[in-house]
Amino acid sequence: MLWVDKYRPKTLDKVTVHDQVAQNLRKLVSEQDCPHLLFYGPSGSGKKTLILALIKQMFGAGAEKVKLENKTWKIDTGTRTLEIELAMLSSSHHVEMNPSDAGFQDRYVVQEVIKEMAKNRPIDAKGKRAFKVLVLNEVDKLSREAQHSLRRTMEKYSSSCRLILCCNSSSKVTEAVRSRCLNVRVNAPSEDQIVQVLEFIGKKENLHLPAGFAARIAAQSNRNLRRAILFFETCKVQQYPFTSNQVVPPLDWEQYVSEIATDILTEQSPKRLYAVRQKFYELLVNCIPPESILKKLLAELLRKLDADLKHEICHWAAHYEHKMRLGSKAIFHLEAFVAKFMSVYKEFLVATFG
Amino acid sequence: MSSDIRKWFMKAQGQDKSAKPSAAAGAEKKKPVLSIPEKKAAAPSLVSCDHDPSARKKTSKYFGSKTEKDPDVEMADAAVEKGTDKSAAKRRLQKCSNELKDDSKPLPSKRPSKDIEDDDDDFVAPSKKKTPVKPPPTKKPKVEPNVEVPGKNDGEDEDGMDEDAKTPSKGAGRGRGRGGRGTGGAPGGRGRGGGGRGFMNFGERKDPPHKGEKEVPEGAPDCLSGLTFVISGTLDSLEREEATDLIKRYGGRVTGSISKKTSYLLADEDLGGVKSNKAKDLGVPFLTEDGLFDLIRKSKPAKAPVDKHQNNNSSEKLQKSQAKSSPAKVEKRAESSADKSIPSKSNIPSASSNNQKSKNVDRGSMQWTEKYRPKVPNDIVGNQSMVKQLHDWLKSWDAQFLHSGQKGKGKKQTDSGAKKAVLLSGPPGIGKTTTAKVVSQMLGLQAIEVNASDSRGKADSKIEKGVGGSTSNSIKELISNATLNYSDNRSKHPKAVLIMDEVDGMSAGDRGGVADLIASIKISKIPIVCICNDRYSQKLKSLVNYCLMLNFRKPTKQQMGKRLMEVAKKEGIQAQENAMEELAERVHGDIRMALNHLQYMSLSQSVVKYDDIRERLNSSAKDEDISPFTAVDKLFGFNGGRLRMDERIDFGMSDPDLVPLIIQENYINYRPSTIGKDESGVKRMNALARAAESIADGDLVNVQIRRYRQWQLSQAACFASSIVPAAFMHGNREILEAGERNFNKFGGWLGKYSTTNKNKRLLEDVHSHILASQQANLDREALRLDYLSLLLGQLTDPLKTMPKDEAVHKVVEFMDTYSLSQEDFDTIVEISKFKGHPSPMDGVQSAVKSALTRAYKQGSSSRVVRAADLINIPGMKKPLKKRVAAILEPVEESLPEENGAAEAEAEEDDSSDSENNDVLVPGDSTPKLDLQSDKKKGIQVQLDLKSNGNGSSGKKAPAVRSRTSGSGGKAAGGSAGKRKR
Repeated sequence: MLWVDKYRPKTLDKVTVHDQVAQNLRKLVSEQDCPHLLFYGPSGSGKKTLILALIKQMFGAGAEKVKLENKTWKIDTGTRTLEIELAMLSSSHHVEMNPSDAGFQDRYVVQEVIKEMAKNRPIDAKGKRAFKVLVLNEVDKLSREAQHSLRRTMEKYSSSCRLILCCNSSSKVTEAVRSRCLNVRVNAPSEDQIVQVLEFIGKKENLHLPAGFAARIAAQSNRNLRRAILFFETCKVQQYPFTSNQVVPPLDWEQYVSEIATDILTEQSPKRLYAVRQKFYELLVNCIPPESILKKLLAELLRKLDADLKHEICHWAAHYEHKMRLGSKAIFHLEAFVAKFMSVYKEFLVATFG
Repeated sequence: MSSDIRKWFMKAQGQDKSAKPSAAAGAEKKKPVLSIPEKKAAAPSLVSCDHDPSARKKTSKYFGSKTEKDPDVEMADAAVEKGTDKSAAKRRLQKCSNELKDDSKPLPSKRPSKDIEDDDDDFVAPSKKKTPVKPPPTKKPKVEPNVEVPGKNDGEDEDGMDEDAKTPSKGAGRGRGRGGRGTGGAPGGRGRGGGGRGFMNFGERKDPPHKGEKEVPEGAPDCLSGLTFVISGTLDSLEREEATDLIKRYGGRVTGSISKKTSYLLADEDLGGVKSNKAKDLGVPFLTEDGLFDLIRKSKPAKAPVDKHQNNNSSEKLQKSQAKSSPAKVEKRAESSADKSIPSKSNIPSASSNNQKSKNVDRGSMQWTEKYRPKVPNDIVGNQSMVKQLHDWLKSWDAQFLHSGQKGKGKKQTDSGAKKAVLLSGPPGIGKTTTAKVVSQMLGLQAIEVNASDSRGKADSKIEKGVGGSTSNSIKELISNATLNYSDNRSKHPKAVLIMDEVDGMSAGDRGGVADLIASIKISKIPIVCICNDRYSQKLKSLVNYCLMLNFRKPTKQQMGKRLMEVAKKEGIQAQENAMEELAERVHGDIRMALNHLQYMSLSQSVVKYDDIRERLNSSAKDEDISPFTAVDKLFGFNGGRLRMDERIDFGMSDPDLVPLIIQENYINYRPSTIGKDESGVKRMNALARAAESIADGDLVNVQIRRYRQWQLSQAACFASSIVPAAFMHGNREILEAGERNFNKFGGWLGKYSTTNKNKRLLEDVHSHILASQQANLDREALRLDYLSLLLGQLTDPLKTMPKDEAVHKVVEFMDTYSLSQEDFDTIVEISKFKGHPSPMDGVQSAVKSALTRAYKQGSSSRVVRAADLINIPGMKKPLKKRVAAILEPVEESLPEENGAAEAEAEEDDSSDSENNDVLVPGDSTPKLDLQSDKKKGIQVQLDLKSNGNGSSGKKAPAVRSRTSGSGGKAAGGSAGKRKR
């Protein structure tokens, strides 16, 4: 079992990194009622852990016995019948799903599937908790229509159902939805906190951590706790006992993106653009989300870029990232960004160095 | 000689016309009758040839010239038009005509006209340019001045005369074409798909050094016939396409590569390329452009049979005059004579002039497609083997089905291949219906044709027994009663054959039509011939099983050309053979369309030449399907910037899905021709960036179209994703990768997209297995971005470093922890591969790999099954494709049952759905205990499945249904839901 999973706190009491948030949440649910919740924060900061611990706090151990279902929903849109397949994790008290999996049909998921589930009041033998919890992941990836449908559902069925929304960026969730929820911001843990966690794990695993090693892992993890722990274990798999100057291996795809960045910076030509396209395809085929590619690529480019250009390049990256979300063929936008960058950078080089 | 012509012409124009200036008025009067306005009504030519205001009607040049000029001129023109060989006489004639011309047309009026013409040319689509519209021959002098000193009336006329003499009709077009090109720098045959075939566009060829400076000679028609040319390099004064035209006009052939049959290699410079080398090898003589001209010039005096022409002419003039004098009457006559003429149709072409005359009278009153419909099977152009098959089938039908049917089914089975109906398929206009009719007629069968104009719905059962109310009922009646007819009165009611035309058109209105047709076929006592265009049509899928398939192909252009020649001959039209072949090619084998075109042309001209066809069909050629590749080639072509906007849109919309993808794939490869000098490459990079931006915009518009069904935006999408990038990038293509072919590639996006989706699905499998293991709760993105490296490390590192057994054990254990299957293992390895990076499986010996597989398989029997697709059902080789349902059961629920009620649960499992592989999963609190019980359960489930493994697949579907429908309640509580089931 991987350490990330092994040392994941199971209850709110055990949460260490966001203990303040955890305490507040515990108080919140102990009042017998609970508003809709929106957890947001960067990846690897502990949102999911908090949500699971919270549900356990609400319903006790019963909530931990989940099953995974892959259901096909038939939805009649009036003109045709859609079939949507959705995976959901459910216990007797809660259902967790990822409505954005349905792509641009997510609207129907929200309108039909969630409503359907929200309508049904759980059978409640003991007279407590007369509601169930719907956990929706990646709400920021829901289309605008779906989010609009969601807000009606949230109000209408608030007596029988609580929604817990989880996303990375609250800015991509509409105002209307946000205002109907209690927003819980889950910060990325600071590097110190990560170091603490790593040391805690090291102690449990009886590992000897050289001084500064944990700090280096934390630095490389980009304040992503999950990644830090995974790095940690990767290092352990790779070489133990640790040496103080041990290299923390980068993630495969990040490495590949940095190679692309190097390619772009060394030569700006149609030929190189063509090669970069092939590499983008390689990444996309390997299921790397295009947003992550663009983000990482920008970070890599900025590292080596002249200060004069940074602003402009950031602008274009934002521009194309926006378009990427509006469009459907990510490669076009990635390529357009690279072409734009090459054009700007080349012009700059020629102007500066002749 | 000249008098002959004069006579002919005058008669053609009308009885009262003689070679007097006054004839012009008469001619005008006539014009409306004869003329059909032509598209490219070269307005300027009107100015040039006439000051007569009525000339503004401006029709075909023939009319312009014929009707609006002095009779002498007319004659000259007529002679010119005849495009022939009566040169000596002509010379004389022309001399006088030119003199006349001079009188009538002051020079000034001509000059401007030329300018206009030229301007006009520039506006005209390049595609049009390639096929120069023939201006009135009188214009020739105006163009010539390029060479000769302009402004001098006499001199110019002299030239013109010479030229006219040398180059009847065509020369005019040529000269003008050149003139236009010279000033406008018109792109060579860019838009002209046909002629340039086999010639790849590698950007702009150099302009001929003396473009338009040489006069193109006129020669005898067909003076080059039998000769084959290959053109190489840049010629001295002609564009390559012009040279091709010239050769074709005189009956020569132009091929793309040298072979033994090649007569000449036409080249002005020896580039030492492949062609010239090969020519030297094969001993093919070289010919310069001047040589070609000489060749043509030399042939001029060779007089062709004037008699024949006259013959035709006289008949034509007769016909014309008649048609003119009393159209109404002619019509009437035509009707009556139609019957008459039909039998004569299949006659040998060597019809007497009388015969011709009578036929010519019909002209215009009866469609040629009807008139020349084949009357005997041998007349059918092409597809003779199909005709024969149909014939044989029809002939043997009776014996095969009626008689054998009575004897019993035994015989039928012996000839199992025999079908009771036949389905003719093929593109329109190639004679399917005709074949069916002609063949049945020949066999003495009465053909009953039912086509899309009749309602062909399912026969109404209510009145089926009564009098046939609808067509379908009468069909039913017909097919079932055929024998009665037959036996009743053999001579009066010949056997019938039912021709169901256009069966693929049976649609909304004809409900159940195809099904009913099949039913009819089964009971039919007469043969049924079905005809369709697209035999792969979805609608006909059921029908094809009952039919003998006969697939008609397009006749070759030679076959069609021959036939068209015959028709033309019978109609008194002088036609060049290669003109007819060109026509055949342009209509894509649709002989009906070819005849229609021919008839249309016959209304305005009696000589059909290669150029006429080119000109006429230029517009209709546009309608042909162009492949997305052709469209992209054109858009990106070096001269793509000169395309008109509507043409670009046509190209872009020719396939709105594929064209943008191909554009996107290839735009990087082009070196834009618009940017000029660009040493640093900055400009090109800028153009690329803007093109890429536009392509990205196109994607956004496309989302609006597809997702929100805003189809009105489709032009905008085409614009953003195809036209704008092409406008930025059009130029020469260059290769970016070594070994790449320099052609536009198919868009890579589709392939990558589907691979991406496949991998996403696989990753989703891994994801759900990991979720099912309950060891982790993560989303897919985190799995790919963060987990995967470590997972891969955990799976492969031991295999590389540790001793075999230990490594295998460790890996299998890890896989079990996370419920990973062997497929998941492969998936993880697969999507961690990056090109240029070492494969994660490098360094793992194959022995270790197979050991792992073995170990995993071995453990599979005792493995805790946590996900539905992880169970292996006996009798099913692959895991279930669809993960159906629940994988993890709450421990609470299963624990009580486990205390002795395990069997009950097992029963429940297999009664509810046999592949519901609900299996226990260890609760976190008591992993050890649960694991044991789980193991038991896992086996149990498998045993169950084994016991009813056979039925499992059958039961699956309904089980799934029930789950789906009941799923709403399921979430409420696993146990409740389960019991319900």
